[in-house]
Amino acid sequence: MNGCIVAFCCEHSAYPAADLAGKLRLHYPENIRVIRVPCAGRVDVIHILKALEKGAAAVLVLGCEDGACHHITGNTRAKERVKYCNMLLKEVQIDGRPVAMFNLSPNAPHKFVRAVNEVTKIIKESGR
Amino acid sequence: METKIGVFLCNCGGAIKNIDFDAAVKKVAKFPGVTCVNLSSDLCLEEGKKKMISCIKEENIERVVVAACSPEFQEHIFRKVLEKAGLNDHLLSMANIREQCSWTHDGDVTEKAVELVKMAVNRVRLLQPMEKKELPVNREVLVVGGGFSASNTVLQLSRVGLRTTLLEKEAVLGAGTEELESFYGFDTGSMISAVEVDKNIEVLTSAQMTEVGGKIGDFSVRIRQEGGEILRKYGAIVLATGHQTELALDSEPQLRAEDEAISGLNIVSQEQFCCMLGNSGLETEPKTIGFMFDFSDENSRFTTLATLNNALAAKKKWGSEIYVFCKNVKVDSEGMEKLYREARDCGVVFLKSEAPPRITAENGRVKIEAKDVFLGEDVILACDVLVAEELYLPAEGAENLSYLLSIRRDSKGFFQDENVHLYPVGSEKKGIFFIGGCRGDLDLGRVLTDISSVVMKVHELLSSGKILVELERVKADPQKCVACLTCIRVCPHGAIQLVRVDGSKEVAEISDLACDACGICAAICPAKAIKFQGYRDEEILAQIEAIQEL
Repeated sequence: MNGCIVAFCCEHSAYPAADLAGKLRLHYPENIRVIRVPCAGRVDVIHILKALEKGAAAVLVLGCEDGACHHITGNTRAKERVKYCNMLLKEVQIDGRPVAMFNLSPNAPHKFVRAVNEVTKIIKESGR
Repeated sequence: METKIGVFLCNCGGAIKNIDFDAAVKKVAKFPGVTCVNLSSDLCLEEGKKKMISCIKEENIERVVVAACSPEFQEHIFRKVLEKAGLNDHLLSMANIREQCSWTHDGDVTEKAVELVKMAVNRVRLLQPMEKKELPVNREVLVVGGGFSASNTVLQLSRVGLRTTLLEKEAVLGAGTEELESFYGFDTGSMISAVEVDKNIEVLTSAQMTEVGGKIGDFSVRIRQEGGEILRKYGAIVLATGHQTELALDSEPQLRAEDEAISGLNIVSQEQFCCMLGNSGLETEPKTIGFMFDFSDENSRFTTLATLNNALAAKKKWGSEIYVFCKNVKVDSEGMEKLYREARDCGVVFLKSEAPPRITAENGRVKIEAKDVFLGEDVILACDVLVAEELYLPAEGAENLSYLLSIRRDSKGFFQDENVHLYPVGSEKKGIFFIGGCRGDLDLGRVLTDISSVVMKVHELLSSGKILVELERVKADPQKCVACLTCIRVCPHGAIQLVRVDGSKEVAEISDLACDACGICAAICPAKAIKFQGYRDEEILAQIEAIQEL
């Protein structure tokens, strides 16, 4: 699937936020595929790189707000891993596609929609 | 032989309109391993569940995919259906075609829905069954502290039939409860004596924890008493160590230079002021009284409450002139708004000032200078007594306790008051709870709520003497583990420890009781030895594979 965004969503924050966006009928681009994870800290570098290898246009990791992670340190670890991924991609010079981490709370569907829209815009601007 | 996968689609009683279910059924039926596809409109209702069970039995389905609403919403219901149909309840994967597909997109979304089902099918193929087992737990509870909240907690726990030990570092129970008596008119004496006579409660005074090991249901605690050390086992630990207050005057530099002049003056704390109020033989009654709060600490709930109570009492007893210097009056406790109005009606003057007032000595009185925000002018007040601002701090020894139990504290040193995701009274380690002052600036109503919630939580965990857990949900492969200790360092719940296997080799073992299933260890393990059932690398990558295949 071209132009697909793979979003790893923490089941304590981003996943309920995405559900709430659905309940409120907030619209966002169709090209997003949500993968539910128990905590953003479960997302490993290999998952992000594999998604890019398979042709994802962008990878998002969505976790709890800073200092409010259900598992204390999961979101900070995820952020570090996203940073590491970006560094790796830059090193091998395939850093065109966005890999980003967003923090949101379960009652923030608008933030979820904004994250998806933001990344979709970046993809469109880069002409993919 | 290929595993038989059954897919159950549901149109949610017609709420999912923009998916062509007939076309979807045809496409889903072609996926490898899918032996039967069912379309229903009421899967979560009794009728639907019955049909689902009979279908699973007739077709000998081994794994189930439900494509309907969000798993957050109905997963537990479908897990029960699987159990009734004789399958392991973990062999289920849900495709969220309602909230995250149909409802968020305009136009026909059949293609996306089919892809979501494909992701779920790919995942369910790799899922492994998980056994459940009831593990025994110790039914005794350790409550640390000897004040109001600790005594109240042990009494309530005793009422629900749990044996408790009350651990107090002082020689007698009831430290700090006198303040409560004058504050709320509570009879704390009868409470303390009730604790002492209760057969379910063992009171250890002049005692301290020196070592804590183990996990929920099986904490082993070493307690040092005057007579020596004892080792005890507990199912849960409740901390109710309370708070302490400190005058905030030290933080103001201009006071330091004039310390000598100040020392002979009447600058008192709220507690000392309470004693003055209770003392009938006071030489001279203070004519003018100043109060201060909310300058150096934003969390001023407790000091505000104390100020309002004391100001009212002083007004009634001595009829003094009372001036309150503050940045903001925060009246978020029950009945506080009423108290504030009452104080104003009595003639207590509230002066709002952005910067902390300057305090100096003049002719044996305290001189307070502040810039009033509303008047826009400097206000100078000479008063007989200044009740200075107090900082609300965790009790002494909180640092040591957090070190012993390896639990985090927030930026002010309180136990867990910042992370909204944790149960307000819970810690990141299962089976350790906090009550009252040790977890933040709380008033009596909030403390009582804390006590009730802890008692309920502890009762739920320990009353039956066993806890149902999923066995080996997260497991380190002893063959692959090289005991690098990375997982032990990162586990936020303290659920991992080293154990010896086969006589010599040491490997990480994850406790099923203490584990909260976050998967941080599985992601970080350098040897990839830790498998988290349901979210293994294979299962996550299989979902990514599915996105490409359409």
